[in-house]
Amino acid sequence: MAQWLVENWPIIAVPMLVFFAVLIIGLWLRRAASGYFDRWVARARWEGSSVVNQTLRRTSVYWFILLGAAIAVQVSSLPPQAKSLAGRLLGSLFVVSFGWVLITLSEWLLGYYLPKLKASQLAIRTTINVTRIIILILGILILLDTWGVPTAPLLLLIVVVALAAALVFRDTAPNLFAGFQLNTTQQIKVGDYIKVETGEEGYITEMSWANVRLKGLDQSSILVPNSRLLRSTFVNYGHPLKVAKEPFRFYSRTHLKELTGLKARNLQEMVSILKTAPDAVIYYHTHNFLEEHYYLTPEPSNDFAVWVSDALGDDALGEQLASIDTFSFSNLSSLRDRLVGIIEEHLARGCTSRDALEGREFHFVRSVSIVLPTHFVASDLREFTEALRKVSLSSLYFHIFESRLRLGRGLNDFSVWLRDSLEELDLADDIARVDPYTYTLGGLKTWLLQLMEKRIK
Amino acid sequence: MAVTIDGKTYQIGISQYEPIVGKSTIDELRLLASKLSGKVIQNVNSTFTGGGVAEILSRMVPLLQQLGVDARWNIIRGNDAFYQVTKKFHNALHGRKEEITAADFSLFREVSEKNMAVLDQQGDIFFIHDPQPVMLINRKKEQGKKWAWRCHIDISQPDPAVWQFLEPFVVQYDAAVFSAPAFSRELPIRQFLISPSIDPLSDKNRELPQETIDSVLAKYNVPQDKPIITQVSRFDYLKDPVGVIKAFEMVRKSVDCRLVLAGGTATDDPESDKVLAEVREKAGKNPDIHVLLIPPDSNIEINAFQRASTVVLQKSLREGFGLTVAEALWKAKPVVASAVGGITLQIQNKFTGLTSHGIEGTAFALKQLLSNPDYARWLGENGREHVRYNFLITRHIRDYLLLFLAMEHPGDIITL
Repeated sequence: MAQWLVENWPIIAVPMLVFFAVLIIGLWLRRAASGYFDRWVARARWEGSSVVNQTLRRTSVYWFILLGAAIAVQVSSLPPQAKSLAGRLLGSLFVVSFGWVLITLSEWLLGYYLPKLKASQLAIRTTINVTRIIILILGILILLDTWGVPTAPLLLLIVVVALAAALVFRDTAPNLFAGFQLNTTQQIKVGDYIKVETGEEGYITEMSWANVRLKGLDQSSILVPNSRLLRSTFVNYGHPLKVAKEPFRFYSRTHLKELTGLKARNLQEMVSILKTAPDAVIYYHTHNFLEEHYYLTPEPSNDFAVWVSDALGDDALGEQLASIDTFSFSNLSSLRDRLVGIIEEHLARGCTSRDALEGREFHFVRSVSIVLPTHFVASDLREFTEALRKVSLSSLYFHIFESRLRLGRGLNDFSVWLRDSLEELDLADDIARVDPYTYTLGGLKTWLLQLMEKRIK
Repeated sequence: MAVTIDGKTYQIGISQYEPIVGKSTIDELRLLASKLSGKVIQNVNSTFTGGGVAEILSRMVPLLQQLGVDARWNIIRGNDAFYQVTKKFHNALHGRKEEITAADFSLFREVSEKNMAVLDQQGDIFFIHDPQPVMLINRKKEQGKKWAWRCHIDISQPDPAVWQFLEPFVVQYDAAVFSAPAFSRELPIRQFLISPSIDPLSDKNRELPQETIDSVLAKYNVPQDKPIITQVSRFDYLKDPVGVIKAFEMVRKSVDCRLVLAGGTATDDPESDKVLAEVREKAGKNPDIHVLLIPPDSNIEINAFQRASTVVLQKSLREGFGLTVAEALWKAKPVVASAVGGITLQIQNKFTGLTSHGIEGTAFALKQLLSNPDYARWLGENGREHVRYNFLITRHIRDYLLLFLAMEHPGDIITL
């Protein structure tokens, strides 16, 4: 034996040297890679570093031992059959250990990230098991191939199963992948206000493995599938703004015209009826033009002025009545006093009033308002702006005109809310100071939106 | 839901109006309709077909149902003699002299009582249309519920005998509804103003391809080589067709244009043929004046004439509501019309059209529009917007919903 060793020492020494050289180089590379990995982890603060370290620390030593052994066998003087057998054996050991590492890492990664995407326990378990099965099947296929066993039938079976699985999970899988992408790229996060091109908008309240949940402007819960969100163009307005003490609910208002049966043929009759007419009549005839012709160039005419000019032909008085600044009145009775005062002064100056032609009498109409809550509720300035964009002009009319004068609040609803619930004093004041009667309703809405958008920026 | 409009049956859904009036308007209708959940609205008139009321109800009831309102429609039954009496009532309420005898009143009572006995009157709000079924109110004592009388006609100058007969029934209703302030009477019940409307999807108002317009004008030999002034109305002294020709002749002195007078004759108006003859005589052989007698229900033709017009005219001496004005305004046409009846609700002078009071004034207004196309276009566009929000069927539906709600909730400000 000793004689044989003396004569043939290179046959053993060379593979041994190769084996140890590979092992030493491998361990050095492992150390270098570990140092680089530790530095990266320190920067990225990745929670998975310990799992990767624990899994790869010992296994990587085995891999270098297997690699060293495989190269040593190849440089040895063993017969080719023995080399082949040893290579397959070592390759198989590597496949098994590599598969074990993959299963360990994937289990951890899925177990860590899927709960973050609000995936259900069932979904997590299913995903982990499917991943395990895929790795195992791949490992078995490689092992069978290594040992020369035919794999075609098995591959066919796998393809069929994979196609069936793809069919079953065709809707879920894109959402899951899109969820990963949304989560990892940090395009959106819980608390952001987004507006999707398909119309959905609101604050993100939850991001799950399948959907993004939004709180709509009508307080509804909107689910947008992750895959659709990723395919769509959306605007992310960012974090919530200051939350109001009380949310603002938008109301809408519409009206019905009630005939009083009262009519005037001349100024004397008009002033007599005006003195006792209900406030609802004064309101109707000073706001009817605005409501019915809001698309026109602003023309703050009241029905009295139009009738006096058109039916009585008294342009001077018509002009006086038309120039009454409705905005300067905080209640209807003082507005009535002003109307009566102007006509009485006119009559007192000795101006005669002719009768209107038959059929051109002034018919006094009462406005019956029906006020309805809309679905739109705003908790901050962003929601308020977006809701304002969507509400009807009737809603705008109610909060700006009717609440101030007819409901006797003295100030428009928007300014009250901005001042009392959001402490946006400047904004409240800007809106309160503007004379809405000099705008069309559409123009007023545009102006308000510009004001809000400027404030939010 | 299948709806028959202008003799054709096709599907019309409330959502088809959304591109025209906007989503918020349709949403508002849905919201209002939801407040009437569980209520049965029973409409009653005298016929399912023919006449303006039946036409309105045939469109409104399905649309109300689509909005979720349990709207129903029933009719009273009567023989020919009864309908001859109600026709006389109708004319007399319009102010026309009619021979109405005591036997006529008796027959009206007799048939109405029979209807009261047999008519299925299930409902929470009864909406009774026009004078024919007015006596159904006698069931109110035993039935209770809310009752509204919808008067579609102008009763501002009625035959006193007929009005005195009807008034005791009318005042038993909870509310009456009129189409214009001038149509109303002094009554001890609440009265509401609900204007009539046009349907933008009907044959008379829908968009037409240029080929259709061209073919209609070619069919009636009206060249489109110069500006066209059109008045669409039946040949009736109250529509002043002779005055229209006089105004046109004044305009024609300074502006080269054509006049189209298109309309039919009323079978129940013996003066109709006489008026037509006078108009033809006045038009003489002037090749620029086209007096066209068109058959009833020529809705596409009327639509085409209005769309081909440069200016639309409605020079009535007296007018009910005058929905031809709303039809023309909806087509964004500048309109010159007399300041009478419901026209003053549709045209705000110098904002949505021009109003006039005489032949000279009409001629002056026509010349203004023909000579100032930009101004005419501005008026036309304003007019279209005015109709969009005030005289389309969606506003009409909204007003009916509001009426039903107002009947259930008293007060000037109703918060739901």
